Amino acid sequence: MITWKRIKLENFTFPKIYDYKKEFIRLDGEVPVGLRLDKIYDTIDRTKINWLNSNEIYGLGKEFLSFVNEFYNSGISLYLNSNIKLNNPIVVEFNMDKENPTVIDKNIIIAEPNSEATILFHYCTDEEVEAFHNGFTEIHAKENSSLTIIKIQRMNDLSQNFDTNIAYVKGEGKVNWITVELGSQISGSNYTTFLDEVASESKLSSIYLGDGNRKMDLSYSMIHKGPRSISNIESRGALMDNSRKVFRGNLDFRRGSRLAKGSEEEYVLLLDPSVKSDSIPALLCEEDDVQGEHAASAGQINESQLFYLMSRGLREREAKKLIIEGAFRPVIDRIPIKELKEIIDLEVERRLINE
Amino acid sequence: MENKLLSIKNLKVNVEENEILKGLNLEISKGEVHIIMGPNGSGKSTLAYTLMGHPKYEIVDGTIEFDGELINDLKADERAKRGIFLSFQYPEEIPGVTVEDFLRTAKASTTGKIQGIMAFKKLLKEKMELLEMKEEYASRYLNLGFSGGEKKKNEILQMSILEPKLAILDETDSGLDVDAIRIVAEGVKRIKDESKSILVITHYNKLLDFLEPDYIHILLNGKIVKTGGMELAKEIDEEGYENIKLRFAKV
Repeated sequence: MITWKRIKLENFTFPKIYDYKKEFIRLDGEVPVGLRLDKIYDTIDRTKINWLNSNEIYGLGKEFLSFVNEFYNSGISLYLNSNIKLNNPIVVEFNMDKENPTVIDKNIIIAEPNSEATILFHYCTDEEVEAFHNGFTEIHAKENSSLTIIKIQRMNDLSQNFDTNIAYVKGEGKVNWITVELGSQISGSNYTTFLDEVASESKLSSIYLGDGNRKMDLSYSMIHKGPRSISNIESRGALMDNSRKVFRGNLDFRRGSRLAKGSEEEYVLLLDPSVKSDSIPALLCEEDDVQGEHAASAGQINESQLFYLMSRGLREREAKKLIIEGAFRPVIDRIPIKELKEIIDLEVERRLINE
Repeated sequence: MENKLLSIKNLKVNVEENEILKGLNLEISKGEVHIIMGPNGSGKSTLAYTLMGHPKYEIVDGTIEFDGELINDLKADERAKRGIFLSFQYPEEIPGVTVEDFLRTAKASTTGKIQGIMAFKKLLKEKMELLEMKEEYASRYLNLGFSGGEKKKNEILQMSILEPKLAILDETDSGLDVDAIRIVAEGVKRIKDESKSILVITHYNKLLDFLEPDYIHILLNGKIVKTGGMELAKEIDEEGYENIKLRFAKV
């Protein structure tokens, strides 16, 4: 049993895990040259989470990760050859339903030097099913490679979502994370990036929406090891009803990360007095010559903006919706698939109007 | 009397417990252009915000009737739907919302009719051309990074799209260069030609020559103290507000 104080999760036990029988890799046409894309259970298991037995605790913790290691029922193994640049995003979609209510996905993505790709994971639920997701994604971005990893979570309000993401970035490599959190009853997600070598780079853009009784624990860490490594965390959220959220952003400058730069910014709109929002930014330094900055702000919708929009005939709720959508827009616009963008717009709209 | 659009009687308004408007009376008929002039702090912007229904401006006494209906307690969006428009002195910036999307939503809200994307695009393009605005503004975020003049033009664009019965222009001419004033004034004049009513709030009279107002009112210390024609504007232009202030100091 797991107790998770931050989001008041008590005596939590894992549900029974069923097979996930649906196809989850969306690929239009041929597999591009230079890409090896397999279902994780079809590959030799080179994906042992090798630090599970070490003393450091990463991601959502050992209970969740050991569970993935033991019981995974889906996930991908993606290997991108050197110098291969994929034009179209790879889409992995889990649509949970009554026959397939559990997704335990283990994903490993390796990008060889000078390669480039976008991989999008979409977790959603088809029906009013009590779905469960616990996943683990490990990324290796080698020298001068560039990966964009997009995670969209819009499971229904009966479901539970847990997700751990870890990236290792080599010299001048780049990992961009985009995370969109719109659903589930309880959601714990963790993104940890190791900027291992010189001038490695990572940017994380996150948007989230809390409605109903949702509890969210969002944890983002940038661990600078390489000199001149660069990181940026930008999170925008809105909370309403009785939702609660804990945001933790860590900028960790380890020994050797000379001249590294990291920044984090969290901005949350509190739409109801009944919400609860905690922000815990942390800055850890083992090197002197680094730059780290963080900013967090929580506030209500700007009254002047609201009046301006209402003076043009928009109802209060419509005006608020527009302001929140506007805050989310820069992140949503970075999602490369038009249909998915529209789905997200509709989901945001539905949740804001259904207040 | 059927021609009457706006009727304000004995309006007293508090802002954070301070009385700003102290018994203001004003009547505007359909198709008329009224100018309110007054020195800083006389209550001009308070009148504009109060007419639009800003929640911070508390009506403590008096009535505002619009098109025969008491609107004292209506929210801003309800007033907009009835045909009141305020061109803001300092328009707000709304990141992430494009001019086009916003205006289409606003047009749908005020008319109660869904606006077809293509038809609306065409309408917007026409109106923008009249205001000599580049097409790219339609896809820019609302007022974000706009210059002072661009923001004011954008207000006039919104007005021409929403086609209100009463347009209130709060210091729309301030911060504009000569060319921009001409373009804005032409935009306002087109509204006037459609026999809409216009209330211009200003402390200069740059716009006046273009608009041929029917009435000029002097607002002083929360009340309209004098009403006249263009000669009043000339008097203020030449002598400033000091004479009028002195004359009404005793009141």
